[in-house]
Amino acid sequence: MENISGGESPTRISSARAPEALSFTGKGGEYFGIWIVNLLLTIVTLGIYSAWAKVRRLQYFYRHTQLAGSSFDFHGSPIKILIGRVIALVMLVCYNFSVRLQSSMTLVILLIVALVMPWLLRNSFRFRLYNTSWRGTRFHFRGGVAGSYRVFLLNGFLTLITLYVMAPFAHQRLKAYQHDNSYFGRTQFSFHARAGQFYRVYLLLLAAIVAFIVLMGVAGVGGAFSTMFQIQRQGGRVDPALLIRTVLILYGAFILMAVSIGPTFRALITNLIWNNTRLGEHRIECNLSPLILIWISVSNFVLVALTLGLFMPWASVRLVRYEIESMRLVPASDLQEFEAAEPESLGAVGEETATVFDFDISL
Amino acid sequence: MLQASYFDGRSTRVRAVSLSVAGEDLVIAGEGIDFRVPFADVKVDERLGLAPRSLRFKDGAFCEVRDLDGLDALLRSTAHRDGRVDRLQRNLRFVLFSCVACVAIAIAAYRWGLPWAAGEGAKHLPPVIGKTLSVQTLKILDGAILAPSKIDQERQQALSAKFQSLRLQEGGTPKSALLFRRSPQLGANAFTLPDGTIIVLDDLVTAMGDDQLILAVLAHELGHVHGRHGLQLLLRSSAVGAFWTFYIGDISSLLAAAPAAVVEAKYSQQLERQADDYGAALLLHNGLSPGLLADALQKLTESHPGASKAGFLSTHPSTDERMRRLRGPWAAGPASSSMR
Repeated sequence: MENISGGESPTRISSARAPEALSFTGKGGEYFGIWIVNLLLTIVTLGIYSAWAKVRRLQYFYRHTQLAGSSFDFHGSPIKILIGRVIALVMLVCYNFSVRLQSSMTLVILLIVALVMPWLLRNSFRFRLYNTSWRGTRFHFRGGVAGSYRVFLLNGFLTLITLYVMAPFAHQRLKAYQHDNSYFGRTQFSFHARAGQFYRVYLLLLAAIVAFIVLMGVAGVGGAFSTMFQIQRQGGRVDPALLIRTVLILYGAFILMAVSIGPTFRALITNLIWNNTRLGEHRIECNLSPLILIWISVSNFVLVALTLGLFMPWASVRLVRYEIESMRLVPASDLQEFEAAEPESLGAVGEETATVFDFDISL
Repeated sequence: MLQASYFDGRSTRVRAVSLSVAGEDLVIAGEGIDFRVPFADVKVDERLGLAPRSLRFKDGAFCEVRDLDGLDALLRSTAHRDGRVDRLQRNLRFVLFSCVACVAIAIAAYRWGLPWAAGEGAKHLPPVIGKTLSVQTLKILDGAILAPSKIDQERQQALSAKFQSLRLQEGGTPKSALLFRRSPQLGANAFTLPDGTIIVLDDLVTAMGDDQLILAVLAHELGHVHGRHGLQLLLRSSAVGAFWTFYIGDISSLLAAAPAAVVEAKYSQQLERQADDYGAALLLHNGLSPGLLADALQKLTESHPGASKAGFLSTHPSTDERMRRLRGPWAAGPASSSMR
C-alpha cells in the first residue's frame, strides 16, 4: 500500500490559536427530501418511526456542523429514543389531565412528575452528550442527581415563591450545572457567567418591554386625541381611513414586539452563556445578533405558514446555520490533544421527556 | 484510491488515509497506519445529503469520507447496498410522492379527522370535565365581560319556566340551568357553556320581545348542548393550537394561537347548522314552527345594523342562508333525516 503522507490531507489540521469558526454546510433543499420521506414514514407508522426520523434529523444537522475541518456526529439509538418517547407521552398526558381536572389525584400526580423530572432531565443531558461526538471522541455529562434536584426542584420552587424574581438566578445555576458537568473526552467544560450577568439580560429585556408599552400607550392616547380633534374639525365625522391606520399601526407594533421578545432574549442569553463557557483552556465565542435572529424567526414563521408547513426544512436549516456560524472556538493549544474517556452507556428516557416538556431554555 | 480521515476513537487526532478494496477486504493505509478489515465487519453510514459519511470499524475507530461519489464508486465493488430508506430519501419521485401524500393526509386530518376526533372526544369525556371547565369559564367571563342581569326576577323566572316546559325529543340531552347576564360588548347573544348551561344576555331578551322567539333561540342553543359543541370547539382549538405550537415552536405562543382562532370561526358554521337543525326539530316537537328561529335571526340581523362583529351572528353562517333553510323543508314537516 502506498503511503500518502506526502499528499495533501483531506482534513485541515489546525496548528494552534487561530480562532476556529463553526460552520454549517446543510442545505434546505437537500434536507427537504430526508425530512418529507421520514415524515411520511412517521405518519404511516402512527408515530413509531419518529424515533428513527429524529436520529436522522440530528445526524443530518450534526454531520453538517464542522469545526476545524471535522464534523460532529450523533450516535443515539432509535429504539432507546422510542422508549423515551413513550414514557414522555405518558407523563405528558398525566400532567395535562391532572392540571386541567382538579381532583384529589392532581396533587399526587404533580408530585410524582415533580419528583421524577429532575432525574429524567439529568439523564436526558447524559444521553444527548454521550451520543454526541467530534473526531470520534464523545462528550459526557457527569452531573449528579442531587445537583439536578437542587437546580430543578429547589430553584424552581424558589423562583415560584419569589414571583420569578429569582428566575435569572435559577437560570444561571441551571447553565452552571449543565456546563460545569460537561466533558469532551476527558476535558472538562467550565462555566463562568455570574448570576448578576443573567439579571442584566433579564432586566434589559424587561425595561425594553416596559418602555415599549409606555410608548404604545402614548401613541394610542395621541392617536385618540388627533382623531377627536379631527372629528371636531369635520363636524362630528370620523375619517375611517385615519382610524384604520391608527389601529393598524398600533396592532402592528404590538405584533412586532411580541415576535421580537423571544429571539432577542435568545440571542442575548445564548451569547452570555457561550462567551462564558470554556472547554479546558479553550475559550468559546458566540455573537448572535438579536436583529438577525428576529428577522430569521419572523420570516421563517411567515413562510412556514404560507406554505402550509412545507418550508419547515429550509426554516430549520436557516436558523441552525445562523446559530452555528455565530460560534467560534478560540483554542489555547492544539486541538489534537483531546483524549477520549472510558465508555459508558445509558438510556434515552430522560432525553425524550425533556424534548416534550421543553424545559431547556437555551441551546 | 479514496481519500479519508482516520480517527482511532480514543483521541481527536486526525490521520489522512486512503481507502481501497482488495478482494473481500477494505484496505486502510496512511501515516503510520496500514491494515485491512473484512468488508463485512465495516458499518457504512447512511448518506445524508452532502454530509461526510463514515466507515465504522468494530473497535470504535472510523474513517470519515467527504468524497461521496468516490465512496459510492468504492462501495459498488463491494457487497454493500445502501438501506431502503436511504435510497428513498434520494429518490426524487418518492420525495415528490411523499410531499403530495403528506399534504393530502394533512388536509384530510384537518377536514375529517379533527372534527371526528373532537366529536368523539366530547362525547366520551367524563361529565366532571365539562363541569369544571364551565365553572372556570363562567368565573373568567363574569370578571371580564359579563355583568349581572338587569331583567327583573319575575321575568327571569317566567322565561326559565317556559324553557323548562319545552318537551325534549327522544334521546335529547337533558336541559340544565338558564343563567341571565348583561354584556354591552357581546350585545344580543346567548351562548352555551361546556356543561350545557345556557347564558342569556339582556340585549337578546329586549331585542326579541316575543317569548316564543326567545324560546326558538334557546332551542337552537339546546342543539349546541346536545352536540356538545362547546367541548368540541375547545378540543379542536386546543388540538390545533398544540399542533402549531409544537410545529412552529419557539416563535411566539401568541402567533401560534392565531390559527386556532381562525379554525374556531370556520368550524362554528358547521356546528351552527347542526344546532339550527336540532332547534327546528325541537320547536316542531313542541308544536311550534321552526320559522320562529328564522324570525329570531331576522330580528337579530335588524338589531345589528351593518353586520356588527359582536353578537349572536358573528360566528354564524350567512343568516339569509340559514333563514332559507329554516323556512324551507321544515315548514312541510319534520325532516328528521338531517338530524344528528
